[in-house]
Amino acid sequence: MSPSPWRALLLGLAALVVLAAAAPLLISNPYASRLAQLLFLNVLLASAWNLVGGFAGQISFGNASLFGVGAYATSMLWLAGFHPFLTMPVAAFLAAVYGVVWGWPCLRLRGPYFAIATIGVAEATRIVANHVEAAGGASGLTLPLEEDLGPVLLYAVGAVLAVSAVLVSVAVRRSRLGLGLIALREDARAAAASGVNVARQQVTVFAVAAALTGLAGGYYALFTLYVVPEKVFGFDLSISLVLMVLVGGIGTVLGPVLGAGIYLFLEQFVLASLADIHLAAFGALLIFIILLEPRGAAPRLVQLVRLIRRRLG
Amino acid sequence: MSDTSTRRALVEAEGVVKRFGGLTAVQSLDLALWEGEILGLIGPNGAGKTTLFNLLSGQFPPDSGTIRLLGQEIQHLPAHRICRKGLARTFQVPRPFLAMTVFESVLVGAQFGRRVPGASASETAAACLALTRLEPRRDAPVHSLNLAERKRLDLGRALATRPRVLLVDEVAAGLNPTEVRETVGILREVHASGIGIIYVEHVMEAVMDISHRVHVLDHGATISIGTPEEVTRDPAVIEAYLGRSAGS
Repeated sequence: MSPSPWRALLLGLAALVVLAAAAPLLISNPYASRLAQLLFLNVLLASAWNLVGGFAGQISFGNASLFGVGAYATSMLWLAGFHPFLTMPVAAFLAAVYGVVWGWPCLRLRGPYFAIATIGVAEATRIVANHVEAAGGASGLTLPLEEDLGPVLLYAVGAVLAVSAVLVSVAVRRSRLGLGLIALREDARAAAASGVNVARQQVTVFAVAAALTGLAGGYYALFTLYVVPEKVFGFDLSISLVLMVLVGGIGTVLGPVLGAGIYLFLEQFVLASLADIHLAAFGALLIFIILLEPRGAAPRLVQLVRLIRRRLG
Repeated sequence: MSDTSTRRALVEAEGVVKRFGGLTAVQSLDLALWEGEILGLIGPNGAGKTTLFNLLSGQFPPDSGTIRLLGQEIQHLPAHRICRKGLARTFQVPRPFLAMTVFESVLVGAQFGRRVPGASASETAAACLALTRLEPRRDAPVHSLNLAERKRLDLGRALATRPRVLLVDEVAAGLNPTEVRETVGILREVHASGIGIIYVEHVMEAVMDISHRVHVLDHGATISIGTPEEVTRDPAVIEAYLGRSAGS
């Protein structure tokens, strides 16, 4: 189902080496640089979403509320004079706190009830953020351009964050926490009867996912240098995460990574010329995938790799 | 009847009441499971057997009354706490973790159940698979199991929590005679390992065969308690199952 811890760590290091080798190409021009940053961001966000949506089976349409907290925490502390990198742990921490604050009551709900509650929380958060004058209100915050925060450093930070998020997924999947999450996803009553503290398991993994999502928010602020409620607390962002994971393969470690890449590819290359209808096109792709490959791209890819291995070996 | 002065009660329910809207599913019920005992719990459909299991295992709290497990009151504890205190259950209709393998399912019980020093979680899980004859299916996906195997898996997962008391809900229903005998054999082994059992069953040859005492419910109340021979001769029990004879 997922690699053993040592293999995962080795694969993680290998991924970092590959990403380092690919770096000269991916930061050769500003556009390539931005693509790499967005890819790392998507992988981080989708992997975090999948911890809750895939492993615990709780579909959140409200992760933008956590992303926005991270983005604003980094931006405001940076503007207050702190080094941008120092603000990122704070972004993760505040997002985790906010996640627990609303996740704790909402996670008592399951299925569509939880999903609806997350929409409510995220929209309420966005509307409030629009009216906080200290945080720039609806016009948002513009961050200073800093010489030492160049493309190389941003690439390195993004690569480490993305690979870490995947490793966290592997660690959770293989841990006692992960086993309890799959159990409660499959049957919450049977899980409780087997000793699983359903409420605590869910809140724990939600806090981890919220911290990663907050980190993503901080990273986003670092490379866009502009945060505004309609974007960082936006419903579009929350939905895009659900789409990425469903397309890539929900409940798998590899799925969010694939989905993040597929989403970025479609958004940037195929749909760029079609402008605003890209969400409709993505919806059509989602329907296509749910009908033909409801488990997403990851299981099929694993199958393909095994087939090739068998042919070669 | 049991000698209550020397034997310790594993489970004691006193004056337990549970209402669902206007329906009183369990009314002022007293029940005891003594150490070293298999207690059969029978009664016609709707007698309140499964409701009683749900109350004992913390699925929902009683409206009034007390439930003690090894002398400690548990009626307000949530299901996972009761499990960790040593009371496990199976379900009338098995509730498998379909996305897991057989071993992973049992490991859930071993990792989250009652803490006991000694054997590791995976050793406990392996032992429970052996006991429930599921060892050959260890790495099989749960969705590939048939009904008999799913019932044994429910049992194995419950046993992996290392309970002191096991509530077994209709583990023989829907099985063929060979499977029933096998299941009864497993329950005997569980009992021999020192676990107290409350056994709800409609398959009479199974429950009468292995129960030391039988507690009979009808309409949420006790109508008879005694040895299997005593309760099967009890006119109140015969009436509850078959109805009153036309002559009386």
